[in-house]
Amino acid sequence: MFLIIKRLWQVNWAEQWQYRANLLMYLLYWLVSPIIYLAVWTSIANQKGSVNGFTANDFIAYYMVLLICDQVTSNIVIHTFGYKIQDGTLSGELVRPIHPMLTNGLVNNIAFKALTMMGLTPIWIILYFLYKPDFSGMSLSNMLLAVPAMILAFFIGYLLSASITSLAFWTTRVYSIHEFYFALILLFSGQFVPLTLMPKVVQDIAQYLPFQLLIYYPIQLILGKLSAQQIAQGYVMSLIWLGISGLLFYLVWRNGVKRYSAVGA
Amino acid sequence: MPLNTITVEQLSKNYQVPEREAGFSAAVRSFFKRKYKDVKAVQHVNFTIPQGEIVGFLGPNGAGKTTTLKMLSGLLHPSGGKASVLGFIPWELNPDYLRSMTLVMGQRNRLSWDIPAADSFLLNQAIYRIPDDEYKQTYKELDELLELEPLIKKPVRNLSLGERMKCEIAAGLLHRPKVLFLDEPTIGLDITGQVRIREFLREYNKRTGATILLTSHYMADVTALCERIIIIHQGRLKYDGGINDLSRKIAPFKLIGVMLADADSHDLSGYGTQVQNEEDADKKYIQVKAEDVTRITSRLLADLPIHDITITDPPIEDIIEQAFNQ
Repeated sequence: MFLIIKRLWQVNWAEQWQYRANLLMYLLYWLVSPIIYLAVWTSIANQKGSVNGFTANDFIAYYMVLLICDQVTSNIVIHTFGYKIQDGTLSGELVRPIHPMLTNGLVNNIAFKALTMMGLTPIWIILYFLYKPDFSGMSLSNMLLAVPAMILAFFIGYLLSASITSLAFWTTRVYSIHEFYFALILLFSGQFVPLTLMPKVVQDIAQYLPFQLLIYYPIQLILGKLSAQQIAQGYVMSLIWLGISGLLFYLVWRNGVKRYSAVGA
Repeated sequence: MPLNTITVEQLSKNYQVPEREAGFSAAVRSFFKRKYKDVKAVQHVNFTIPQGEIVGFLGPNGAGKTTTLKMLSGLLHPSGGKASVLGFIPWELNPDYLRSMTLVMGQRNRLSWDIPAADSFLLNQAIYRIPDDEYKQTYKELDELLELEPLIKKPVRNLSLGERMKCEIAAGLLHRPKVLFLDEPTIGLDITGQVRIREFLREYNKRTGATILLTSHYMADVTALCERIIIIHQGRLKYDGGINDLSRKIAPFKLIGVMLADADSHDLSGYGTQVQNEEDADKKYIQVKAEDVTRITSRLLADLPIHDITITDPPIEDIIEQAFNQ
């Protein structure tokens, strides 16, 4: 298995490297919205002193950490597998004795991340010197705790996205469904604004959804805003959602493959 | 090892294909109420193939050949019937099954488009758990037959169709499968390439005792490799038996192609049935019974100002169509 992962990595890394210019464009596109949120909220907070207790520095610190969290926990499986199911290129992978999405797809996403991270790092450093966020609440122990939390979150997000991608076995409109899923993430994950600034009802719903585990929870954890109890709760929720999303993916994939009718040759 | 490597019983596959008329209003209507057409791609097909046999799987386009191959390789779930290959039910996609068979289709498939084939080969080595020495040995054999060495260091997308096909076949055979499903394995190859693939497959079959089921549009592939052929037409099995019996029974015809000095002024209908050949518009073609070829050829040569004359077998598609449209 180790050798398979290693060779998959070599192939996927080489593939992604071929598209490094594309990746840079993607990264810049992806950076636009968090940087706009950062700029807008910071200027509002600067004018008013604070927004619901969030000072300008709180916003800066929040979005600076968000840039990293989102990069680690997000995935692009819809873009790499949606079309394969639809145009039949999945066939070649389906007759290999390894699971397409749980091996090749995963490694592909990680290679993609590794490469975009290389692009993000210098941009992040520039932003750091521009905004000079105050990270005084951070501690090494919290940062270490956040690493497994973000890895769990990545797997939850990956399995949920992979489940939606697998709907391509049934419908050709899977991209619109995924757009809707993205809207849910934007609303309930804390990507748009920190969840505490959302209406009470959104916060209440968000608590039970997996999306805040992808962004809000790890950010708060890194910034040292969570009590030991809240940290533990987040871990329990993550494990529960990992189970749910795993089961969901298992069911959707198993039934989807039965419906697969590789188009064309 | 079961007695028959491949057993197919009453295998059927229906597709539901959405259909609508062209045009805007039809598009709107189909948004609310979609109409589906049932396409019976494969209907109640039965056959068995013992270990070590090479069988040609023939039929016109859309006959259900590829659908059957896909079911046998596990890609498609059938709508009805049973199949067993090497004792496995293919569509359960058991990893042990996938490691002992291969499916090569005439399109990009096993190779990553953007990177050299060599990297995909190494990935396959890991995926199929091929020990290093065995991998080197197999690669050496494949390289001798297919001349892979100059190809495998270039990104696959920079290869020609034929070069890519060679690499696809190699990628599909590195793990020395016991069962080979080959869909148009020689498509896009030049004559030398076709001959090499044929020789290789025959040699591979002789050495390993592998069972091979292949489709091809080139009659030469089939005649060179297969003693037995299965013909499928409109999803139904039409013929299963020796290849020599088929051409005797169904296609005792030859095609005579002639290039004339002034083509339009001669009527060839007195010599045999005129047939169209779009690939070679310069020549006129007539179809005659095999036993009449010599007689008619000498008549043609005596009567007409002929620049060039060829005598060929009718294409496999034509034979099959003739057989079942009679």
